[in-house]
Amino acid sequence: MARIGVFVCHCGENIARTVDIEKLTQEISNISGVVYSNHYRYVCSDPGQKMIRDTIKEHNLTAVVVAACSPLMHEVTFRRAAQEAGLNPYLVEMANIREHCSWVHQDKIRATEKAKEIVKTIIDKIKFARPLQTIQVPITRRALVIGGGVSGIQAALDLAKSGFQVTLIERQPSIGGNMARLSETFPTLDCSQCILTPKMVEVNRHPNIELITYAELEEVSGYVGNFKVKIKKKPRYVIEDLCTGCGDCANVCPVSIPNEFDRGLSWRKAIYIPFPQAVPAVYTLDEKSCLGLNPLACERCSQICTAKAIDYQQKPEIIEREVGAIIVATGYELLPAEQAKEYGWGIHPDIMDGLEFERMLSASGPTNGVVKRPSDGKTPKNVVFIQCVGSRDPARGVPYCSKICCMYTAKHALLYKHKVHDGNAYIFYMDIRAGGKGFEEFVTRVMEEERVLYIRGRASRVIPLNGKLIVQGIDTLSNQKIDIEADLVVLATSIVATHQNGLDSKLKITADQFGFIKEAHPKLRPVETMTAGVFLAGAVQAPKDILESVAQASGAASKVLELFSKGMIEREPIVAQVNEMTCSGCFDCLRICPYGAIQKKEIKDKQGNIIKYVANVNDAVCGGCGACTVNCRNHSMDLFGFTDQEIYSEIIAIA
Amino acid sequence: MNTQNQNNIKIAAFVCNWCSYAGADSAGTSRLQYDDSIRIIRFPCTGRIDPIFIIKAFETEVDGVLVSGCHPGDCHYSTGNFYARRRFNVFRSLMEFIGLDLRRLHFSWVSAAEGAKWANVVNKVSSEVKSIPNGKFKWALTYHKKNNGQNTEHKNKKTELSKKIKNLYESFIKEYNKPFPYEKENTLTEQLRTLAKNLLVNNKVNAIIGYKSSNFEKLTTPVVITNPESVNQLVWNRYCVNNLTSYLTRPKIKKLGKIGIVVKACDSKSIIGLIQENQINRDDIFIIGIQCDGVLENEKILEKCLSCSNRIPVIKNEYIYDKEIEIKLNVNVIDEAIKLIENSSIEERWNFWQEEFSRCIRCYACRTVCPFCYCETCITDKHRPQWISPSASPKGNFSWNLIRAFHLSGRCIGCNECSRVCPVNIHLDILNRKIALEIKKEFEYEAGVSIDVSPPLTTYRPDDSQEFIL
Repeated sequence: MARIGVFVCHCGENIARTVDIEKLTQEISNISGVVYSNHYRYVCSDPGQKMIRDTIKEHNLTAVVVAACSPLMHEVTFRRAAQEAGLNPYLVEMANIREHCSWVHQDKIRATEKAKEIVKTIIDKIKFARPLQTIQVPITRRALVIGGGVSGIQAALDLAKSGFQVTLIERQPSIGGNMARLSETFPTLDCSQCILTPKMVEVNRHPNIELITYAELEEVSGYVGNFKVKIKKKPRYVIEDLCTGCGDCANVCPVSIPNEFDRGLSWRKAIYIPFPQAVPAVYTLDEKSCLGLNPLACERCSQICTAKAIDYQQKPEIIEREVGAIIVATGYELLPAEQAKEYGWGIHPDIMDGLEFERMLSASGPTNGVVKRPSDGKTPKNVVFIQCVGSRDPARGVPYCSKICCMYTAKHALLYKHKVHDGNAYIFYMDIRAGGKGFEEFVTRVMEEERVLYIRGRASRVIPLNGKLIVQGIDTLSNQKIDIEADLVVLATSIVATHQNGLDSKLKITADQFGFIKEAHPKLRPVETMTAGVFLAGAVQAPKDILESVAQASGAASKVLELFSKGMIEREPIVAQVNEMTCSGCFDCLRICPYGAIQKKEIKDKQGNIIKYVANVNDAVCGGCGACTVNCRNHSMDLFGFTDQEIYSEIIAIA
Repeated sequence: MNTQNQNNIKIAAFVCNWCSYAGADSAGTSRLQYDDSIRIIRFPCTGRIDPIFIIKAFETEVDGVLVSGCHPGDCHYSTGNFYARRRFNVFRSLMEFIGLDLRRLHFSWVSAAEGAKWANVVNKVSSEVKSIPNGKFKWALTYHKKNNGQNTEHKNKKTELSKKIKNLYESFIKEYNKPFPYEKENTLTEQLRTLAKNLLVNNKVNAIIGYKSSNFEKLTTPVVITNPESVNQLVWNRYCVNNLTSYLTRPKIKKLGKIGIVVKACDSKSIIGLIQENQINRDDIFIIGIQCDGVLENEKILEKCLSCSNRIPVIKNEYIYDKEIEIKLNVNVIDEAIKLIENSSIEERWNFWQEEFSRCIRCYACRTVCPFCYCETCITDKHRPQWISPSASPKGNFSWNLIRAFHLSGRCIGCNECSRVCPVNIHLDILNRKIALEIKKEFEYEAGVSIDVSPPLTTYRPDDSQEFIL
């Protein structure tokens, strides 16, 4: 016979105001199975929990119901308390009489009645609860990092230095990501390449890191601690181990196309290395721009290559790895050109986005750091920077703030003034958002010392006229229309999410409406996703600057380390279970299981003949959704924690 | 209208833990006030909510049921609500068809952030339930007089609708029950015997399930032939009504090893289903299709034969036929009956089905003949917990017939054996056909056509219809 103890919480006034606690406690004590019922001001407090622990021992309780707030709030608290008193934690349930009753109703008599029914439902449920043991699952201590930008690099290095194996995959031929494109970084003006390339090289050299570039995630199966991933390595038609990076092949290649790394400001060959410091320093033959691989059209690269590194026969390769955790660091992109038409971007060569200007400012960039107009190569004397292009603009772009543009535009203007001493820089801004260490001082310096003209207001459009660009705008502080004759216009286009290409659904993580991956909790679990074992680093979650990306990457790495430091992972025992006696083996459950947790199992007689096949649940994989239970027509499948019998009792209790 | 009743309604809400439960929490956190008739039961996912739970809740006479989960694409388990959406789409149509007032049954997507939506949904559902004028909800009615004369809510035995349907069936049979050209029955029987003997002698099969003449004229009975000498027992004629495929899943038959089976075109569809559901191996059966020009029971052609459009078995090893006889009447009396029911008022439908089901004596003949009722232990024979009362009581009958119909959704191939064998003539054919039509309309799926297509309730499309969900 069940010996159930019920603890009613006042939650200060939160419950007591609308529910007559005394009456409730009294009426509960009459429900069959209840041997103890009491109330307390805050059951979740230390004395409250102590009361539960003491009562379990004193009254030899077999189950505990706490009538208080939502189980999503404190179920863990009370289960732990019960466990400390020697009661199986799954014999503790919460009756939600706060969020679902006292807070949403006002009539005290009716609310008390409803609270009683809520508690009775849970009491009737718990009569059939079974003690459950957490499931222990082993861990593969290797991590997969997706994306070789600064976040991915940082996360991979942190893990590798802690002694764990890491596989880092990158979609592009080289790691480095967007940071490798930058000239100098705000607010300290460190050279971006100078601080990033040592880390890139370290990634390549580190014995614990397996770097796979020009590759994408193809398939993921498994679960936390035990993922199986398939990585698709695209053919680069150059054998990485043989290529010396001498560049002879590129010299003879007859095809020239705009270099994506330089945002089209320079040219590259069909066989190329995206930038001199690329890691790995290996050439890549771009299948699309090559004159032809099948049939072979020119073969010049192969003929000149003394290392015999060119292999036209390469095929996409699938690499399989077992990993225990996955860090997603796929970064960001800039708003596509089509969406900033009013500023003529993508139409006139002298109108460029921030990353193009970064390349132009970069000492290793297409102009070796000299500021030139792409159209005629002249030095621009008047440069207009327009902020919030697409950002904070729900009608044409995105409603959110891209966060880094205020700072990088200030940096752009400063670097421009340093390079062109007699030049004028104008910045159209909506608000200056410089919340960061040294950020406000930096902007002030740009305004006051560098004499960059900040114009508060929006530019309405940019009109090319007689070799100049007429920027029409408004200064909302002086309420004047402004026309500026510019030589060059730089647009701070908004940061948008990387096109995930199905990555989110492969990893069973969700993206928000803008495509940024959702964190498990916006404040308290910012680097985790709702899928256990999958973590986030960098701008894949939201626009971030380098500092934040690196901090989050280290945060994600430490979460992985937390996982790896355990001997076994403990999983909730809320899993499905088959009644092999009555299972008819239709395997509808297998068809719909989202976790692939169901296998066919042979049932044999004593002579070893197969009598039938039945479903079998892999506890370690089962996610506990219960979809299988409903597809099972004769209910041979049940779900611990939400068993048929428990649900039945609850339904009957409602009436 | 009784105001007392209106204030004391009770609505069961089955919600998923991750979205709607948390959504209700969020309504609480925001102190949004809503109707106090709701009683929440927490599930991990809407995918865990079996329609049997809803039926049970109605059986305990709650006044309304709300099912709520995550918006499509937000499921914590990624796909649970997609399956739930399909399931409840079918279940809701079934409920509508039997005449449940749909103001009592609601579905919604409420996310963890949508506290305000939760409050609105609850208020909407409770106001809809309150707008039903009949006072306290009664789920299953007692139609026929008990010995002591009590518990009788309706004394009239047959409803108007059931009389209309009876007339409809009779008029169809009368009109179309013309002599069919059954000329070659003897030739086909001979061919069947020869083939059967060959198969048995050459050990291609260990047994053959077919028909034999019975002691009664104009009636055949199923037979299992294991001895080649006995093949002359096999017959093929217009009285071979049974769907023999239901034998394929019986343990005794399965033990025999490889089986030959005589099937009509309609019966062959159930073999597709049985293979899909892993009940038989295609390699373990030898399917002998046989030309069928329609079958008769009591000298009346079966309704299904009137609408039969494909006379060639969809799956077969051999096909015994003389020459193809084109008989396409294509008149579907069941579809006409469905239209008749659909055009009736809710009360008429409700009373019609209540009366139909109240006659059930729970003999389970329907279950025995159904090729898809192969479960080792039927849900109605499971008593812990007892979802369906096993007694021939109004509630038990109502639940049993609804659950059975739902369990056949997307699987029933329309052999109509259940309604043929029903000793009290419950129109199970109409119920099953209705669901099949609904599934065809919603999911473009027809049972018994292809082995490779997943059954409709074990798959989903992200853009499945969800107009019925709040």
